[in-house]
Amino acid sequence: MDKLIEILRSVCPDVDFETETDLVGSGILTSLDIVMIVSELMAEYDVKLDVDDLVPENFMNAGTIHALIERAGSK
Amino acid sequence: MNSKKWLAAFFGTALALALLIPVLNVLVDPFGVFGDVLFHWDSYSETLNPRVGKLEYLDRHYEEYDSYILGCSSTSSFPVEELNEYMDAKFYNLFVYGADMLDTEDMTRYILRNYTVKNILLNVYIDNGAIYDDPGIDNLTGAMHYAADGSSKLGFYGKYLLLGPRWSLDKVERYFQNRLFADAFDVFDVTSGTYDKRQRDVEYIGDLPEYESRPAYAEFADYPTYTVRLTKTGPAMESLRRIVAMCEDAGVHLTVVCGPVNAGYMEGIPREEAAEFYRALAEVTPFWDFSISSISLEPRYFYDLTHFRNCVGVMAEARMFGDESVYIPEDFGVYVTPENVESLIERNDRLLGTEPDRSDYTCQVPILLYHDVTPDGSVGVSAGQLEDHLRALRDAGYTAVTFDELQAYVYQGAELPEKSVVITFDDGYSSNYQYAFPLLEKYGMKATIFVIGASVGHETYKDTGLAMTPHFGTAEMAEMSDSGVVSIQSHTYDMHQWGPYETGPDIRDGVKRFPGESEAAFVEALQADFAKSRGEIEAVTGKTVDVLAYPGGVYDDLSQWALSECGVRVTLSTRHGVNTLIRGLPQCLFGMYRIYADGYAGGDELVAAIDGLLAQNAE
Amino acid sequence: MDITSWRFPVFLLAALAAYVLLPQNRRWWALLAASLLFYACGGAAAMAYLGVTAAATYIGALLLQRLNDRRAAMDQEARRASRRAHDRKRHLTAGAVCCVCFGMLFAVKYWDSTASALGLRPLGLVVPVGISFYIFQSVGYVLDVSRGKIRAQRDPAKYLLFVSFFPQMVQGPIDSFGHLSPQLLSGRKPDADELRDGIQLMMWGFFKKLVIAGRAATVVDAVYSDAGAYPGSVIAFAVLMYTVELYCDFSGGIDIVRGAAGLFGIELAENFRRPIFALSLAEFWRRWHITLGEWMKNYVFYPLSLSGAFAALGRFSRKHLGGMAGRILPTSLATFIVYFIIGIWHGANLTFLAFGLYNGVIITSSILLAPLWSRLKKALRVREDSGAYKLFCMARTSAVVFVGRYLTRAPWLKMSLIMLWRTVFDFHRRRLIPGILALGMSWTDLVVVGLGCAAVLTVEALQERGVRIRKTLASKGALVQWLFIFIPLTVILLFGALGGGGSEFIYGRI
Repeated sequence: MDKLIEILRSVCPDVDFETETDLVGSGILTSLDIVMIVSELMAEYDVKLDVDDLVPENFMNAGTIHALIERAGSK
Repeated sequence: MNSKKWLAAFFGTALALALLIPVLNVLVDPFGVFGDVLFHWDSYSETLNPRVGKLEYLDRHYEEYDSYILGCSSTSSFPVEELNEYMDAKFYNLFVYGADMLDTEDMTRYILRNYTVKNILLNVYIDNGAIYDDPGIDNLTGAMHYAADGSSKLGFYGKYLLLGPRWSLDKVERYFQNRLFADAFDVFDVTSGTYDKRQRDVEYIGDLPEYESRPAYAEFADYPTYTVRLTKTGPAMESLRRIVAMCEDAGVHLTVVCGPVNAGYMEGIPREEAAEFYRALAEVTPFWDFSISSISLEPRYFYDLTHFRNCVGVMAEARMFGDESVYIPEDFGVYVTPENVESLIERNDRLLGTEPDRSDYTCQVPILLYHDVTPDGSVGVSAGQLEDHLRALRDAGYTAVTFDELQAYVYQGAELPEKSVVITFDDGYSSNYQYAFPLLEKYGMKATIFVIGASVGHETYKDTGLAMTPHFGTAEMAEMSDSGVVSIQSHTYDMHQWGPYETGPDIRDGVKRFPGESEAAFVEALQADFAKSRGEIEAVTGKTVDVLAYPGGVYDDLSQWALSECGVRVTLSTRHGVNTLIRGLPQCLFGMYRIYADGYAGGDELVAAIDGLLAQNAE
Repeated sequence: MDITSWRFPVFLLAALAAYVLLPQNRRWWALLAASLLFYACGGAAAMAYLGVTAAATYIGALLLQRLNDRRAAMDQEARRASRRAHDRKRHLTAGAVCCVCFGMLFAVKYWDSTASALGLRPLGLVVPVGISFYIFQSVGYVLDVSRGKIRAQRDPAKYLLFVSFFPQMVQGPIDSFGHLSPQLLSGRKPDADELRDGIQLMMWGFFKKLVIAGRAATVVDAVYSDAGAYPGSVIAFAVLMYTVELYCDFSGGIDIVRGAAGLFGIELAENFRRPIFALSLAEFWRRWHITLGEWMKNYVFYPLSLSGAFAALGRFSRKHLGGMAGRILPTSLATFIVYFIIGIWHGANLTFLAFGLYNGVIITSSILLAPLWSRLKKALRVREDSGAYKLFCMARTSAVVFVGRYLTRAPWLKMSLIMLWRTVFDFHRRRLIPGILALGMSWTDLVVVGLGCAAVLTVEALQERGVRIRKTLASKGALVQWLFIFIPLTVILLFGALGGGGSEFIYGRI
């Protein structure tokens, strides 16, 4: 989880990933951020994410993003 | 208010407003089809849709007319006043813009059925061969009146009843912007049916390069390239044949003319198609052809490429009725029948490529302006200086002519001496009588003195009693006038005002409006002032007063129009330069240029300056 | 049928009456009939394009549904093994549908300009109303089915209604099947509140479209038709009016459409969220034509960014560029491509390519420069949440958008540049007012447009602060509520460019 937060912070330095709970709904993360995060995650964790995964529910907060990677890894 | 009540309120309000629209359209009546009870503004509805507006007007006024002019927009320039005199008739110009032969046929049928008609003058313009039964017309502004083309009455009133409210609002807004002169939204003179060209016809016109340099006339300097194909000559002539037959049946005297066409426009029409047009026209009816002549080659006789000036229409009418008192170029106007149509075509083709010889109808005239004459030259010119001017002019071969002679050149086409000059004195100082008059007699030079009515015979200002340069009185006026050497003309009665010496509430800037003065009040004041000035001068001299020098040289279109309405034929400004006179074009006498002769110490200097200006302007 | 003609409200009322009178499970018939009737006014060719689009996407979606269903029936092992083959089939099918739809769109909308550039024969096809909108919406549906987000609609008539629903036909919004179709078929009777809200939204739309945009258009049309003839000040004013016209016309039209759909109890997707308050260009585009942006995000941007090629590019740039730049290069490229496509979507013209380039460059460079910018802000001690800073950002965004508008309307690119050049170097402040008046915009027009813009800004500022305008209004007294019926209706009737009203004079020169 700490590694994830660190990666996320390196992509979006201005975002507080530890406390925010609805990053997409509140407009903090834009589609640009999401794509950058996703490509970063795919490189770091060596997983394959699909377009179908790019729904707001998966990017609500660090927790949901973590869950997304777990799922992708087990596919 | 809950939402159900809200809905009720909404639909109620919307319905009420929707019902108000027809009410608004009937009351404001932008197209004048419901009687225009509030505004009585025929010119506005005629401008929006002349086909509808003019017939609506005639339905109410047809008893005032017994003869009609028909055709497309250039037909406007056949003036009704002259025709009324020539034919002892009461003409209405029923032209509409963009009229094709079908429009004209509908109109003819309608007036023959509904009005008393003695004469019809029909202008078959060359581009009647280009468009026939144009499908591109706008249903509101271009469609024919239902009563003339037999279309649905319900549809007609329906469309004007359900107009968008913008039409009415525009009319109300424009009602308050309306000026005396034509605006884009009211271009017609109601009683004659012609375009209101009052403003265009007082516009100064002089030498050609200056004329073509104005934005409005740029198309003459550089003809646009386009082609007008006369593909509809056939159906147009069929339509004309029906018109001729209708007139014969009704016993109406029909005159067909082919109006003057600018050479630049004619260039866009294939020659063979134009020839076919003339042949087909002559086949249907004999006609007066004015289309191509030396007039066509001269841009100053045209408002724009497709519209000849009113003064050209005057010439055309004079030709048809043999009026010798009007200047008409020799090659203008041919009565065409099938026998001579081929020679006409050949002549027109030959004329088109040529340049006109402008010396046939234009000449240059310098006008000298003097004021006071003093023994020592402290103010104005000295007597000696003036004598030197007159001597030099005589030695250089100049002849001093009068404004009557200029008018005769322009209106009747009379000749002027090779080197003509006009000598003028403004204000009417006693010194003019004392020094100038004898010198003029001595050198055999004629001159014109412009007197300020209120100052005649005075040495003090009329209101303040302050001393002023003495002005000669009526006895001197009579003596000078009777001598035939000096013509006395008007410098206004009391519109030559000078602030410190007047006591009135406002000081006029020459013959211009006070700020806030209405156009009507100003025109009345100016015309009354001139009438008084003319009355007093004519009472003394017994000669016509029709020349006016603008005080301070200041004027505008409105003052020029108001004065020409009273019969003033020549007006003078103080702009520096020489004048180009054009035969048949009265506007060349409006706001004429003058040369401040005071400023030239010796006569030779003056002559050199005049010669320089003439050379510069030579056409 | 033009939604600003008087026929539209009448048509709408008739359709509404039919809708309400039918039994609930048949109500969608009224919507379908009205939609087909509405589109039939566009002529047979327009119907044919609609039919082809509907048929291709209908069949494509069914095929995809069958593929997905088959795979869903497999056990876990077989599913994993068949994944690649399944994806390939899916992509092929969806690709074929896209080819048909976009091929047709290209032929109708872009072939002629392409052909004239290449010296080929133009087809001269008439572009039917709203073709881009329904094609995008239908293709979105196919892709959603392909991704398994929704199930394909088996009933062709019900599907046709989704493609052709009449209010949104003209200019969107581009809605998703999952959001729109259930509402179309529910047959729910609208209540009085919904009717009121719909009518109010429509009035607001008519106000923006007819009163403001219609008047602003006079100057815009005149200047853009002959921009070389005007001083910079008049050009700048015309571009400003064009910006106003574009927003009021488009968002006004969308309000009319959303209001009209609201009368049937149908809520269409929001297409504008007060773009004037955007703090950055990227945010502006998230507030402007939202449904197109969403479409682009879901069906172009995401797939592109996650594609193999882009992943490879990412690895490459990370390795060779490193740092932030290396990391965002692929994303920037994808962003850039999206704006490029949006540019083309608006018109097949070099100016729109330039427009796409302009937006793409600014947005990508703003991402690249973001760290620098935040350091600068820290150094200058700018407080990001202060009103002044936000105002500065809004002004900056508006300026960027304003300059971008120079590119979109001119007939060719060189003209845009000349206009821009004149605005900067040939301004002539004094010739502004006479210039505007000479262009046919009267003082009345200026005042009406000015007051209209002020009204729009006020309302949007209130909305931005969270005020629910219609709710607030409903709590006021009867007289106030009635005045808010009477005044807008009167203003629209009197000042709106209704039914081609307003008198043009053929004979202008006397």
